[in-house]
Amino acid sequence: MRPVSRALAAIAATAIVVGACSGATSSPSASTDASPSGGAPSASAPAEQVTLTYFTFSAAPDHLADLDAIVQAFEQKNPNISIEVQTAAYTDYFTKLQTQVASGSAPDTFELNYENSVAYASSGALLDLTPLASADADFDPSVYYPKAYEVFQADGRQFGVPEQFSDVLLFYNKDLFDAADVDYPDASWTWEDERAAAEKLTDAANGVWGHFQPIQFFEFYKVLAQNGGSFFSADGTTSTFNDAKGVEAANWLIGKLDKTMPSDAFGPDQDSALFKSGKLAMWHTGIWLFPALADVPFAWDVSVEPGNVRKAHHFFANAVVASATTAHPNEAWAWLRFLTSSEEAVTVRVDASWELAAVADQSLFEPYLSQTPPDNRAAVFDALADIVTPPVIEQQSQMQDIVSQALEKARLGQLSVEEALNEAAAQVDALLQ
Amino acid sequence: MVGQRGWSYRGVVVLFLAPSLIPLLLFTVGPMVAAAGLSLVRWNLLKPPEFIGLDNYVRLVGDANFRAAVINTIAYVAGYLPLVFVGGMLIALALNERLRGLAIFRTAYFLPVVTSWVVVALMWRWLLDPGAGVVNHVLGLVGIDGPGWYNDPVWAMPSVIIASAWKDLGFVMVILLAGLQSIPDEYYEAASVDGAGRWTRFRHITLPLLTPSLFFVLVISLINNLQVFDQVWVMTRGGPAGATSVVVEQIVTNAFSYGQMGYAAAMSWLFFVVLLGITMVQFRLQRRWVTYG
Amino acid sequence: MVELVRANSLAGTGTRKVRWGRLVSRTVIYAALTAGGLAMIFPFLWMLSTSFQSAGALLVPPPQLIPSPIELGNYAEIASAFPLWRFLANSLGVAAVATVLQVATSAMAGYAFARLRFRGRDALFLLYIATLMVPLQVTILPLFVEMKYLGLVDSYGALVLPAIASAFGTFLLRQAFLGLPRELEEAAFMDGAGHLTVFRRIVLPLAMPAIATLAVFSFVASWNSFLWPLIIVNSPDLMTLPVGLSNLQGRYATAWNLLMAGSTVAVVPILIVYVIGQKYVIRGVTLSGLKG
Repeated sequence: MRPVSRALAAIAATAIVVGACSGATSSPSASTDASPSGGAPSASAPAEQVTLTYFTFSAAPDHLADLDAIVQAFEQKNPNISIEVQTAAYTDYFTKLQTQVASGSAPDTFELNYENSVAYASSGALLDLTPLASADADFDPSVYYPKAYEVFQADGRQFGVPEQFSDVLLFYNKDLFDAADVDYPDASWTWEDERAAAEKLTDAANGVWGHFQPIQFFEFYKVLAQNGGSFFSADGTTSTFNDAKGVEAANWLIGKLDKTMPSDAFGPDQDSALFKSGKLAMWHTGIWLFPALADVPFAWDVSVEPGNVRKAHHFFANAVVASATTAHPNEAWAWLRFLTSSEEAVTVRVDASWELAAVADQSLFEPYLSQTPPDNRAAVFDALADIVTPPVIEQQSQMQDIVSQALEKARLGQLSVEEALNEAAAQVDALLQ
Repeated sequence: MVGQRGWSYRGVVVLFLAPSLIPLLLFTVGPMVAAAGLSLVRWNLLKPPEFIGLDNYVRLVGDANFRAAVINTIAYVAGYLPLVFVGGMLIALALNERLRGLAIFRTAYFLPVVTSWVVVALMWRWLLDPGAGVVNHVLGLVGIDGPGWYNDPVWAMPSVIIASAWKDLGFVMVILLAGLQSIPDEYYEAASVDGAGRWTRFRHITLPLLTPSLFFVLVISLINNLQVFDQVWVMTRGGPAGATSVVVEQIVTNAFSYGQMGYAAAMSWLFFVVLLGITMVQFRLQRRWVTYG
Repeated sequence: MVELVRANSLAGTGTRKVRWGRLVSRTVIYAALTAGGLAMIFPFLWMLSTSFQSAGALLVPPPQLIPSPIELGNYAEIASAFPLWRFLANSLGVAAVATVLQVATSAMAGYAFARLRFRGRDALFLLYIATLMVPLQVTILPLFVEMKYLGLVDSYGALVLPAIASAFGTFLLRQAFLGLPRELEEAAFMDGAGHLTVFRRIVLPLAMPAIATLAVFSFVASWNSFLWPLIIVNSPDLMTLPVGLSNLQGRYATAWNLLMAGSTVAVVPILIVYVIGQKYVIRGVTLSGLKG
């Protein structure tokens, strides 16, 4: 073919490809029109066919089938609504979500974790669910675990429905405790008890360590609370985490290094590998790891974490929300409600060990509680007696990074603990302006 | 030359340029210009943007994190470029000979280039593990106490440099090899008939005729690696304690984590001007050392 | 090698010394290349090995290069958990189209910048290069909005359109064309050929190594492209392989054995393209037949 023809052919081919593609695809996933479906609507209801998009980070990779089961159950009960699930890995999720929201193509419904939800709510990106909830005759908010329901309210408006919750416990290797003849941890332990036990359990020469606790924002605000301190002042205008109690708390995290805690296990999955290979006696980590530890070759159990002045435990919650720009608020509400509190959905989650549905009815968790290991699954709920929620501001991610990096500098010895915390407090205060 | 002027010549120019210029303008230049506009706003992506004029640029000047990122980026490139150039050149020269198993070698050296950073980063983390990694193990055999590599603020950037140079050697090799292969045999034959030795042939035939390819590799490597991101993001996330924080990592963090899209756009435009300046200087200087045809 | 030997015997040095020197240097080169080659292959071997490990296997050093027990089911598992073949087909289709288009447009533009004279040529070329200097993360938002207004969100078109032009490719081929001796082209012009003929019959064949190289790079870049497909594609039907595989990364723990299996699958087509491309990176057409 002559070059001119080749060039023209290339251009023509491109045009055809582009035309075909844009014609053949479904309408942009940004939920807009409620186009009537090909099939006839049921004779009884004049409802039009609606497609809702649901964007999630918690389904892939292990629970796609479980989510699908919930979707099927919902679509059976609501034949006029079909749910289109979109997934992304957690690390990529917010990049994609923000791009979509920024360009007006937000998914109808999506998932948010608590720390990020505040920025979305205060920016007006979320649908106010309050009128939908009150208009819904057979909806009773008490079906949800109260604290979980409350954290997703702002200015008296409900902007999300809690979907999952999880917390952090003290995991321990029973075999190592037996070998060192140390009593197992229990609910009465304090920091001092943990430290003493860790000392007896550490055998650095053989690469066995007493305990591991991550040194970052999330652990810090928790141990701060355990030490009776508070992150912000009462009116929320200044940071108070660098006071004496904060310094003590940070020292608790950092002081263990190289004595009873390894200083080079901060890489991805390194602490997990250490525990799984039987070289870590105690480990502060989340209940989401129960399935991953099911087959380890040693006996292990969990206990609530020790406190100091008081007990304080993490409470992590995810919510599902609707976009403020969705064209189908009523259908979105129906889906959100079903996804989080229907019996079908809760049963699927419990059976699949897919984090915990944030519902109040504890009897639904019987199957979860009876699974072993660990034996002491009741600790998951015991910990809920004394929870501390993350301090949240609009520039959440920035604040988390400031605190985590300050702690990192202290851990590496670049700054003293006081210097690091003071520097962080100054930077966080600047954000609060 | 035939047809230098006139409409038919213009037609030829348009014909050759349009297929790439039009998509480029539409899908690359357009968004770039829009991003320049973004640098004049404050925008967290969730609520409508707010025009703030040049405030972002003013803020950039005083940003210690940005300054640190710039220094880290320069350090990265300064360490990376020599390694990858010399290494890639040596391998390309070696593979330019008629050796047995050439294709296997070429494939082997190109493999890291096409493997994703997720895999490569993991492997290097594990190779450089301070306790049980192979590298420190070998160093210990010769009596050197290996450093903390990724965990150590001093050694984190060298770790990234080594891993990056290793991965990109194949890229430089492929380009230089193509350049070497384009040098007609006749030139070498003529030179050896004239009694030229190996080194003379290299200096007076190979090197000069390779300069267009070398120029390309230099310009592209600088542009790409001043924008280093993927490996830093996957290996160290800018840590520990900001030791590997680089410019594009700051841009991405500000844009998508901190809700500072306008600030990120300003950062990237300032950086763009710097990159453009460096590249223009390189193009000016090429007259001095690059020989064409 | 033969010429060198002949030349040196003509110059009077002993051929036996030269042959021995040659052997030593060859051996050294081979040894160095092999050592280097092994270092290069290592991650691939390790990736392959991990893809045959069972789920509980740890990723702690020291590693076991030969997994025990050997788990053959990972590949089947990712194929059943995800529409792996669909991802592969999508990646293949998009990469193939993008490569063809990029090579074509870059060759033409490269020729224009290397051989044609027109006003503003250097400034325009600088514009091309300048497009390489702004990270995608910053332009992705305007580009997404543009696609939305074109109605192309979540479409193959959106995956291909931004990839038609390649400043990298244009630059590469411009340099390659500039490096070609002009005598052949000038001879052809004097014989009455136009630019298109010269481009097709002389420049392209002579620059085949560079063109093949560009084809390989374009394919690799399109194949491994992640951020843009992540943002622009929602339906699993249109997802490409890297985005599909990223879903294997859980929030708290990643199944490395599965991810490595997927990554191995992702590397194979590129290797095939590379091996094929290498055949074209051969020594260019010799000049001898055209002299005189």
